[in-house]
Amino acid sequence: MVEFLQFTLSGIVFGMIYAAIALSLVLIWRGTRLLNFAQGGMAMFTTFIAIEVIYKTGSYWAGFVVALAAGIVLGAVAELVVIRPTVGKPQLNSVIVSIGLLIGLEGLAGIFFGGQYRSFPSAFSVTGIHLGRTPLGITRSDLFVVAAVLVTTLLLAALFRFTAAGLRMRAAAFNATVARLSGIRVGRVLTVGWALAGLLGALAGLLVSPSTFLYPNSMDAIFVFGFTAAVLGGLDSPAGSVAGGLLLGVGLSYVSGYLGANFTSIFAMGLLILILMLRPAGIFSGTSLRRV
Amino acid sequence: MSSGLVVDSLVAGYGGVTALDGVSLTAAPASITAVLGANGAGKTTLLRVISGLVKPRAGAITLDNNDLTGKGPEQLVRAGVAHVPEGQGVIAELTVEENLRIGMMSRRVTRAEKAQGLAEAYGRFTQLADRRRKLAATLSGGERQMLVIARALLARPKVLLLDEPSLGLAPRVMTQVLDLVVRLSRDSGITIVLVEQNARAALAIADTGVVLNLGRVVATADAQALAQDVALRHHYLGF
Repeated sequence: MVEFLQFTLSGIVFGMIYAAIALSLVLIWRGTRLLNFAQGGMAMFTTFIAIEVIYKTGSYWAGFVVALAAGIVLGAVAELVVIRPTVGKPQLNSVIVSIGLLIGLEGLAGIFFGGQYRSFPSAFSVTGIHLGRTPLGITRSDLFVVAAVLVTTLLLAALFRFTAAGLRMRAAAFNATVARLSGIRVGRVLTVGWALAGLLGALAGLLVSPSTFLYPNSMDAIFVFGFTAAVLGGLDSPAGSVAGGLLLGVGLSYVSGYLGANFTSIFAMGLLILILMLRPAGIFSGTSLRRV
Repeated sequence: MSSGLVVDSLVAGYGGVTALDGVSLTAAPASITAVLGANGAGKTTLLRVISGLVKPRAGAITLDNNDLTGKGPEQLVRAGVAHVPEGQGVIAELTVEENLRIGMMSRRVTRAEKAQGLAEAYGRFTQLADRRRKLAATLSGGERQMLVIARALLARPKVLLLDEPSLGLAPRVMTQVLDLVVRLSRDSGITIVLVEQNARAALAIADTGVVLNLGRVVATADAQALAQDVALRHHYLGF
């Protein structure tokens, strides 16, 4: 029973990280109908920037803030420089360009920061928390992971729901033609969407790296899990992607805990294939597929 | 000195297809111009070029002597051109009120002006007022058409381009929409360019009729005269 509780809690912690990646993918998908394969690579790169800043300044929080800012800039620049020229061209172009961006970032990270595994510090203590005498299997650092993603997600939800900028982004995502005819500068809105996605990716990189080490390919597996979570949630739905992230995190935690860590990747891949075959619109969608 | 909307020798197309081949028309301020013709005549493309969704290959568009040629829709709506596209004009995933708020995004508005704009829209279209928090997806066809027109009006346009506003509406609702179009031009002084399949109904409310065929203008005349030109009607308008 204690084991089950521990697996569930640590599953939620990782689920929040998958949710952050999934949400960043959904933000871009809704605006551009593009799956950004470079999302993990961008997160890896900003986390390397964080580690350099942390070593230079000795302050975790300086690195944290710089990495988030770098995520925003990297997202906006990627959209303006790399993705914008593919608009109006066949969709395969933007897919290939985003894969190219991933390979480019991983190469640059190797050149600038080196290819060896580096450990990344945690914001808070990593000693286990106990409830009475029962170890819960999670740490203060894990609580920070959950809180950080939760707060960011709620802030984003409020931005979308209650602000004019959020309404512009939703209008542009749902119907770009009507948005343009109403005077919304859709190109600018897309850049903002990519910047927000970059921010979320950077956050995910900062939060996951203490438990994975940091190296140029370190986010590849996290990207696959985040993508699976996004598909689970239906790719179109921000709330669905968060739910998908949590479900996947807890599911993978049980698989890893009861069957062994070797099974997690195959489980995620199998799940991805199953969803795409059986419910391609995501497990939460009540309506049928809507193609734009 | 205002000279309305002037479209001069417009050429436009998609890829290898030429949809407009030298189209000219003049819409006087506060007039209603009906653009008629069969499917594929270029009616919708003409509106899409005037609102900036399609870039012209040649020709010029001016509004009150300002050159608008080649500008994007984001700029044109600020210059006073509002386009109500055919069919999918409402954003079904947003609420009625959110749809209306989008209509004011081309202007700098204070909070008070925003509230006033919404109040005006609800005053004019009372059936929208009861449903302001409902998703636009829940509206009927007639209500959707009212919503898109209300949204376009919130941009404070000088020219309103309407593409098939009566498409798929019940006859009674269609009459309401066309009545509204008349009031917008007579009372609010908006210049209207109306594309319609239903040529008879369109000519009944229009000042001028322009008949397109295969991307060219085949007739421009007073709407009543056009309605009485039996040969032209039979040939191009099917009534």
